[in-house]
Amino acid sequence: MLNWWLPENVSTYGEEIDWLFHLIYYITGAVFIIVTVAFLSFIVIYRDRPGRRARYTHGNTPLEIVWTVVPALILVVLTFLSVPAWSKIKMTMPQTDFVVQVTGKQFNWQVTYPGPDGQFGTADDKTFLDEMHVPVGKPIRINLKSQDVIHSFFVPQFRFKQDAVPGREIPQWFEVTKPGQYEVPCAELCGFGHSGMRAWIYAHSAEDYTKWAAENLRAGAAAAAPETKQEPEKPAAKTGGRAKQ
Amino acid sequence: MTRVLEAPPRHRPRPSRTTGQVPPPPPPPGGDDGPDGDPAPQWAVLDNVVLATIFFIGAEVMFFTGLIFSFWILRLAAPVWPPPLQPRLPLGVTGVNTLVLLASSVVMVAAGRALNAGDRGLAVRRLATAAGLGGLFLLVQGYEWVRLIRFGLTVSSGAYGATFYTLIGTHAVHVFGALVWLAVTLLLAARGRFADGGTAPFRACALFWHFVVALWPILYLSVYLL
Amino acid sequence: MSAISATAHAHTAHAAHHEVGFVRTYIFSTDHKMIARQFLFLGLFMMIIGGLLALMVRWELAWPETPVPGLGSILTETGGILEPSQYNMAFTMHATLMIFFVIMPILAGAFGNFCIPLMIGARDMAFPFLNMLSFWVAALSGVLMLSGFFVPGGHAAAGWTSYAPLSAVPEYTGTNWGQNLWCISLFVLGVSSMMGAINYITTIINMRAPGMKLFRMPLVVWSLFITAILLLLALPVLTSGVAMLLFDRTLGTNWFKPSGGGEPLLWQHLFWYFGHPEVYILILPAMGIASEILPVFARKPIFGYHAMAFSMIAIAFLSWVVYGHHMFVSGMNPALGMSFMVTTMIIAVPSAIKTFNWLGTLWGGRIQLKVPMLNALAFVWMFVIGGLSGIFMASTPVDIYIQDTYFIVAHIHYVVFGGSIFGAFAAIYYWFPKMFGRLTNTALGHLHFWPTFVFFNLTFFPMHIIGVGGQMRRIYNPLQYEFLQHQQHWNVFITYSALLLGLSQIPFVINFFWSLFAGQKAPLNPWNSNTLEWTAPSPPPHLNWGPTVPTVYRGPYEYTSPESREDFLPQSQPPLVRAGAARH
Ligand code: HEA
Ligand code: HEA
Ligand code: CUA
Ligand SMILES: [Cu+2]
Repeated sequence: MLNWWLPENVSTYGEEIDWLFHLIYYITGAVFIIVTVAFLSFIVIYRDRPGRRARYTHGNTPLEIVWTVVPALILVVLTFLSVPAWSKIKMTMPQTDFVVQVTGKQFNWQVTYPGPDGQFGTADDKTFLDEMHVPVGKPIRINLKSQDVIHSFFVPQFRFKQDAVPGREIPQWFEVTKPGQYEVPCAELCGFGHSGMRAWIYAHSAEDYTKWAAENLRAGAAAAAPETKQEPEKPAAKTGGRAKQ
Repeated sequence: MTRVLEAPPRHRPRPSRTTGQVPPPPPPPGGDDGPDGDPAPQWAVLDNVVLATIFFIGAEVMFFTGLIFSFWILRLAAPVWPPPLQPRLPLGVTGVNTLVLLASSVVMVAAGRALNAGDRGLAVRRLATAAGLGGLFLLVQGYEWVRLIRFGLTVSSGAYGATFYTLIGTHAVHVFGALVWLAVTLLLAARGRFADGGTAPFRACALFWHFVVALWPILYLSVYLL
Repeated sequence: MSAISATAHAHTAHAAHHEVGFVRTYIFSTDHKMIARQFLFLGLFMMIIGGLLALMVRWELAWPETPVPGLGSILTETGGILEPSQYNMAFTMHATLMIFFVIMPILAGAFGNFCIPLMIGARDMAFPFLNMLSFWVAALSGVLMLSGFFVPGGHAAAGWTSYAPLSAVPEYTGTNWGQNLWCISLFVLGVSSMMGAINYITTIINMRAPGMKLFRMPLVVWSLFITAILLLLALPVLTSGVAMLLFDRTLGTNWFKPSGGGEPLLWQHLFWYFGHPEVYILILPAMGIASEILPVFARKPIFGYHAMAFSMIAIAFLSWVVYGHHMFVSGMNPALGMSFMVTTMIIAVPSAIKTFNWLGTLWGGRIQLKVPMLNALAFVWMFVIGGLSGIFMASTPVDIYIQDTYFIVAHIHYVVFGGSIFGAFAAIYYWFPKMFGRLTNTALGHLHFWPTFVFFNLTFFPMHIIGVGGQMRRIYNPLQYEFLQHQQHWNVFITYSALLLGLSQIPFVINFFWSLFAGQKAPLNPWNSNTLEWTAPSPPPHLNWGPTVPTVYRGPYEYTSPESREDFLPQSQPPLVRAGAARH
């Protein structure tokens, strides 16, 4: 009950986001406490009592300069601390040979693997519906596309989110650190089926993934056809939610 | 009572601050936005109507900025522009038409001169000429549109048609609106409304006219020439 | 534009027969105070609809797919259960009504119209006829917006942001005329607000009373002045956007549809280029109202008058260059995102100045916790919470995670309810005596304020928590997601609080109407305020003052001034010693 907080982080850059989140949490928390203490104590101390006159003052320039400059400095520092994480996550693409194509459509995610030839748009492409398998410990590149309206590929536990915009292909990446099964809700309103548009990412250890790929991505493998939507089994060890134990 | 809420002519003390029945109290000393001792400003810099028109034009500029910005976004994103198999826009005719519209602005300035010089007849004639030129511009535009539609350029023919008709059509609507305003002003002028030097409504109308005219070369350049 | 030249006719007509009939007094009135009341009623009426829509949304989130009480007779097919598309419609219209038809009419429409002429010492707006037109065009726009509920296919359901191409192609939402009417209504509203804004600006520039220099204007007039400039320049961008959207939907143009060479992100750029200034349009008047009320009930000059005015100007300027913070993960160039992060961080600085100056105003005051003051204090406190949550989102990496979660919904409501609505309540309680000539009931005022304040926090604070837990906004059934199951009890809790928040508004409704007809007659200056409106009778007659308008001798916040034996010194009271420099 009392574990209200960020879901467990299982991606490499998630930690940086969480660190910034906590930093801002403490800064704004401190600011809020300062403001609140001053606010409430002024209301109590300076409440209307008979015989008191208010102080007649129009301001205090040094004080005003201080409370302009100090927040400005804090915010500048915050900006500088945010830049590296942002450029790492959104502005650089690590070297990787693992590429999948993810296409949003009302109201599913189509996940396409290039197949053995490593090329998209060839006959050996394998497409899965609402299901994605990746190995841990390896940067995964996904090329996000959309067929109709804007969707958003959101993996809470990876701290990953990116809109999929029709008419564009947006390359993104993440790297998972822990095997498990992770929920992928759609985070951008995309029509009446928006709520419930959801996929699962299965992160396997390297060996498990090789096994899975051998079974499912081989040239002749009977890949899960897009029509046969595969309902994920109820996860035995519940990694899909937060780690409760 | 009539004058109470109305903007008095420029450079005249403003009775509007009071009902005009009792003289206003002496200007107060001091204040925060000037040296102490300066009286507060007593005369408006610009008439209400002119001022309002300037702000109205500000809003219009933002409106057209939205449209022209969108046009450029689509255009720069398109692989080839104009797209193949689409009719070409009539550069020459529209170029001449541009001159027609620009001329109307010149005539408008001349009308203002005549009005200031007190020559009501001349002013009205010049206003009519300006309106005529504006009307001519619209007619030619309309004719060109009809031809383009015959050639198969419609609003739904991709980004090219959509942007063309939206931008040029919106401008045409504005020219039409400005024409109506101009017609009203013309009538007022003919009735001698501006004879006492209170030309603010005329200047407001002229301002808007110039705005509509000045907008056109930008559109011509963006949509036709480049 | 013929409206402007028509003003002249209105005057002559006016002078001809001075006895005006019922229609000209109450309906097609050109009197700024009547127009203000009309805007106020429009806003309060829409607030009930918008609020009830919010309660529907809440019900659905707490007990998904169960019948909403009272809806059984309207949604007969499902027996009162909202369908997903109807849920989308509910929050879309909730937000649209609240923003465009509640806060804008009340803060900018009603209090803009009421305060500007009265507080700068003008007899009316510069263009009274245009002013009347502005209200009636807004009302027309409201009718158009509401009529969307009754068309086949339902009302707009693409969110108040109406992202294209979802909103641009009827098939994607199944909504046809609803979305069209949404576009048309906002187009019409754009025209209305432009007329209002032009009027406000011209009035403030040209019609100030003798001695009312710019830096003697009350801060609420400053805030409305700046708001009007933002309205004037921001709304046309939306107007152009909804026009294009409407053309895409009806004429087959391709502005936002990628299939025809259009660009979906273009809509977002247009919308947020309007949308971010818009959120400051919602908050600036409330800031002005707080700056007005705090000095009166702290019996103390505002702290740093100039800083207050300049920080609002700074906010207005910066509001144009931060809009991209709504698009950090939209696919916009990430380098652009970085620069928007910088500007977004900067815009918090003028807000910091304002917050600390409000605290400075309280410091050393003689604070009277009357009902308007309570609401103004709640504004300051709650705005700080809403503003601080904005800092999380301003940091681009953090926004990756919290974008489109309930953290944003919490932010929205802390700034718009905690900010703008508390500001509106403060303004209503404060100016009610002048507006309607009667005092409001204090006991009912407290009975409204305290539960509202408590349940507001109980409703919206937990949204931060479920947002951090990852709950997305705009979802109809959180139970569809496994990672959200464990926090469903919060959704239930929030819904109970929201219902109680709604019920807490009932004392307000009662107070408002009871005071309107049976309240105690208000004296000229019930709060002992300095500003000019309190020198006019309650309620002020047509043209506001008798034979002369007041002359202004000093700034608006001379409370407890040593120059006066009272603890206030009205702006219009002539100085005892007529020396040039008796100030500060
Ligand atoms: C009245 C309306 C209002 C106001 C005033 C604000 C104010 C701010 N907003 Fe908000 N915002 C909205 C209404 C508003 N917002 C709405 C409606 C949305 C959602 C739209 C949608 O998608 O539907 C939104 C969304 C929104 C986003 C996009 C989130 C997303 O979708 O991912 C962001 C991101 O940066 C943001 C940031 C800010 C910031 C930084 C401020 C700042 O101006 C706040 C500044 C104030 C303070 C910071 C507090 C006081 C200062 C101090 C006490 C000083 C000390 C502080 C520090 C040192 C930190 N807002
Ligand atoms: C001005 C703005 C404003 C205001 C005042 C409110 C007020 C409220 N809002 Fe709203 N809200 C928005 C602006 C606003 N909201 C916006 C911009 C969005 C984003 C929309 C989008 O995603 O597109 C949003 C979205 C939004 C959501 C998220 C929906 C989703 O993403 O799925 C929720 C959910 O709880 C919510 C709830 C509420 C509640 C409970 C109130 C309450 O405070 C309402 C309380 C008021 C009343 C109930 C009315 C008054 C009552 C009476 C006069 C008496 C009668 C009452 C009874 C009989 C009970 N709002
Ligand atoms: Cu797809 Cu929401
Ligand atoms: Cu914003």
